[in-house]
Amino acid sequence: MLEVKNLTRRFGEHIAVDDVSFDVADGRLTGFVGGNGAGKTTTMRMIMGVLAIHGGEVRWDGRPITTADRQSFGYMPEERGLYPKQPVLDQLVYLGRLHGQSAPAARAAATELLERFGLADRAKDKVESLSLGNQQRVQIAAAVIADPVALVLDEPFSGLDPLAVDSMADLLREYARRGVPVLFSSHQLDLVERLCDALVILSGGHVVASGTADELRRSGRVRHRLVAGDDVGWVRDVPGLTVVDVDGPTALVELHDEATGTRLLTEALRRGSVREFAEVVPTVSEIYREVTA
Amino acid sequence: MTLMTDRRTTAARPDPSTDRPAVVERPWQVVAAREIAVKLRDKNFLISTFFTLVLIAGSFGFQAFLANRPHEATIAVTSPAAAAVVDQAEQAGVAAEVKLEWSVKQVPDAKAAEALVRAGDADVALLPGANGAQWRLVGERERDDTVSTWVEKVVGEQVLAEHATALGTSVEQLRAGSTVSYDLLDQDARDPGFVRVVGFAFAFLFYLAALIFGMQIAQSVVEEKQSRIVEILAAAIPIRQLLVGKIVGNVVMAVSQLVLFVGVGLVGLSFSPWAALLPALAGAAGWFLVFFLVGFVVLAAMWAVAGSLATRNEDLQSTSTPVTTLTMVILFGGIFLTGTGQLIASYVPLMSVVAMPIRLASGTAAWWEPLVSIGVTLILAVVLVRLAARIYSRSVMQTGTRLTVRQAMKLQG
Repeated sequence: MLEVKNLTRRFGEHIAVDDVSFDVADGRLTGFVGGNGAGKTTTMRMIMGVLAIHGGEVRWDGRPITTADRQSFGYMPEERGLYPKQPVLDQLVYLGRLHGQSAPAARAAATELLERFGLADRAKDKVESLSLGNQQRVQIAAAVIADPVALVLDEPFSGLDPLAVDSMADLLREYARRGVPVLFSSHQLDLVERLCDALVILSGGHVVASGTADELRRSGRVRHRLVAGDDVGWVRDVPGLTVVDVDGPTALVELHDEATGTRLLTEALRRGSVREFAEVVPTVSEIYREVTA
Repeated sequence: MTLMTDRRTTAARPDPSTDRPAVVERPWQVVAAREIAVKLRDKNFLISTFFTLVLIAGSFGFQAFLANRPHEATIAVTSPAAAAVVDQAEQAGVAAEVKLEWSVKQVPDAKAAEALVRAGDADVALLPGANGAQWRLVGERERDDTVSTWVEKVVGEQVLAEHATALGTSVEQLRAGSTVSYDLLDQDARDPGFVRVVGFAFAFLFYLAALIFGMQIAQSVVEEKQSRIVEILAAAIPIRQLLVGKIVGNVVMAVSQLVLFVGVGLVGLSFSPWAALLPALAGAAGWFLVFFLVGFVVLAAMWAVAGSLATRNEDLQSTSTPVTTLTMVILFGGIFLTGTGQLIASYVPLMSVVAMPIRLASGTAAWWEPLVSIGVTLILAVVLVRLAARIYSRSVMQTGTRLTVRQAMKLQG
């Protein structure tokens, strides 16, 4: 498990990351969400040891993280980069060896990854001769070349076409299934909602919400929607609930307790037909807007 | 595929020592190997190395050719007596182990002889003299000193012998006590001309290698910054390992190239007329390589810093100015410093890379002097490389704008 404890980083007077704590559990896809300047990249850079930590610590397997631990991580920085003039295969082999793989192991892993990404026939081509999409695929291969024990990916989906987004998502799920903790940042909230087991929402350098998607959705007051056959203006008079919105036969309410729900439904049925009475679970986007507002 | 194999079948994380290779290469070794491989695949580098080798071998071949070529001259004469003088002069020269190949052209009179010289068919004419002199030499524009030396010598001996006979004495008696001996106090002193050539060779080899391989280091640092791969590298290995790998890789290449050049130079020397100087020069050349090794480590670190301060290749021109200037100072110091200046330079780190080997070649340095000097350089190398590593690791991640050393020192990691 990767643990981030009270991480702090200043740039001059500005505190970019302020006392940030969260966990990335083994086998969990953890989405890292936040606006521009929220501190996601700074946090990821501190996790990877690329940026000095001004306060707090990063822990791996219950102890402070070491250089050797980080060497076995897979990392994709926000600013992508490869040697433009080096052939694709050589480059992946080089990165694999920097991660501690033997030359033959790195070569085997690189060849398999290129096959997987449909780039086997481009292995000897220079990176700069590849299309941007293919360069992006090589970049992904570079992050996972050395069979990483954890993945830290900064905006792995940016710049990918829809098909590549799907195969990237598959790859992340595959690593999570193998027990690898995966932390990735993204602006695409729908994608995060679809993919993630857990979420960390960052705003202004602080964690404003974190937990599994389900926990987050139910953390606020759960709302219910009532759709009846007739006008439902009467709900305003029902005690034990807060009316969020009433529009003809539809009402959106926040129940203060379980019993009120039963009372509301009974009352509605007494007055006529009920077409719908359901819990309204907010989307991740809605939660995000709420906590970052 | 192995990508899919599940390493986590048990709850416990696999022991890193079992799933990583048994013999783990140090990251700097991998980096150094890449630097070397990139250079070995660089066609420009291979071609320039090859041509430099050809140039070195060729220049020695040319020198040997010049030295072995006999002095050729065609001498116009108007009488058998003159032909005899030419013949005796040539024999005297050959007897003194000078290679001469002279031919004689007999013509009827002085006018015809001069016409031959003017037409270029003869180099010199030996004609009867005027105003009491027995002979005179006539050339076109330049004096041929080889011809005049040996002709004067033979004619002088003949005239002296004739005068001695006329006076009833012998040449030996006339000459008795006239010789002046010339003893050299420093028997080991070497030909200053030779020392100058060696000094120039050392200075220039240093300059070329320091510039070519230094620029390579700076460019590879900028390439990593500019392409942003440096962040991936920094996450995978400590940034100092990256710097050490770069320095080691390029130092290995620079020293290997220099060994090749110096080796071919020494072999060439052994076939040249100066072969006798080989033992003395080989020692100096060996020390030159040692000094270069240590000195270039320092310069390589500086070049890496120059690269890390730049954000694009175009910035290198300005960020590398201090180190290129330093290289020039060492070059010119090596060529022009003499006496006390040279003595001081041979102890100043980096300046000593060229200055000390020159002093060794000229035989003015005692055996312990290079040891002391290299010790001083080593101490500075440790300090400077550490400083360079600090600046490098701070500035290499700054991809925004070009930095100065002062700005880089203020940066946080």
